Amino acid sequence: MTANVQPEGDSGMSAMKKRHARQRLVSMVAGPLWVGLSVFVMRFWYRYRIADVDGIRAQYRAIRAQSDAPMLICANHLTLVDSFLATWALGSGVYWVTHPDELAWNTPESTNFGRTRRHRLAIFLAKCIPITRGGAREEVAGVLDRVRHLLVNGETALIFPEAGRSRTGRVEDSSAAWGVGRIVGSVPGCRVLCVYMRGTAQETWGDFPKAHDTMHVSMACIEPKSDTKGVRRSRDIGQQIVRQLQCMEEEYFDARQ
Amino acid sequence: MEQSEVMERVVKILTPWVKDEGALAKVAMETNILEDLKVNSARLVDVVIAFEDDFDIEIADEDVDQVNTVGDAVNLISGKL
Repeated sequence: MTANVQPEGDSGMSAMKKRHARQRLVSMVAGPLWVGLSVFVMRFWYRYRIADVDGIRAQYRAIRAQSDAPMLICANHLTLVDSFLATWALGSGVYWVTHPDELAWNTPESTNFGRTRRHRLAIFLAKCIPITRGGAREEVAGVLDRVRHLLVNGETALIFPEAGRSRTGRVEDSSAAWGVGRIVGSVPGCRVLCVYMRGTAQETWGDFPKAHDTMHVSMACIEPKSDTKGVRRSRDIGQQIVRQLQCMEEEYFDARQ
Repeated sequence: MEQSEVMERVVKILTPWVKDEGALAKVAMETNILEDLKVNSARLVDVVIAFEDDFDIEIADEDVDQVNTVGDAVNLISGKL
């Protein structure tokens, strides 16, 4: 029985790698178009601003320069466009077009972004790997495998460890997704860049930040470790990441009191 | 341990996380833990850890990928006892 299962697993992995390579190539070629359009919409349509954008980008580049170890970006999650805003905060459009493998893959909720053919094309181009939260375990495991694969191969992914937008408007410890811990725990030496981002006018969660809002961004690079095993280890690592984001949130609010 | 006993303990462990109590009343091996019982997917890990503690077994991340229904959980646990 094992002899029958193994080749299927191999072919599944091989198909995933081919699919990933194809999407990576198309996204890279189309990068100037969709990255440019995204930045244009954020900057000139919604008129979002990033506070101390030069300092934030310099800090990101310094963290990147410290090591070639795999890096997973974990951010707090308040709106549908957080991944675009966080990416724009960490680098300019020109930077991402010239550093395509640093441009993070995203794992948007498929029920939010995968409904129409146009949506699906957009998320294909924009380096997205849609995931159905609460979906079949095998499907979720496939996405986690793909994220692990891209990290091991020197690419970057951005994941929201709260497994959804914070319904309380604050980072929620109780909703730490163990899948994030599972990825980090299975990639040797994986660093986690925790990114906390919040707009001046952002009191709680929603679809989009208000137009003209200024986003405040802070980041911290951690290497979560755990002495436990199995699912406990994954949960432990996931919780460490969420706690780091909570600390950054406390600092954000303390600084504004 | 009999499968029926494992099933009984699995349902007892699941109960605090179940949001659809109607589905819990007619729980069967085919009942989907996330879709039918409405257990929060982010909390599935807590359920699995509760299985580990209650049955004194160790469950790997990959094992959880096979668990969609109550029956999958019962079979996984039975295979480790």
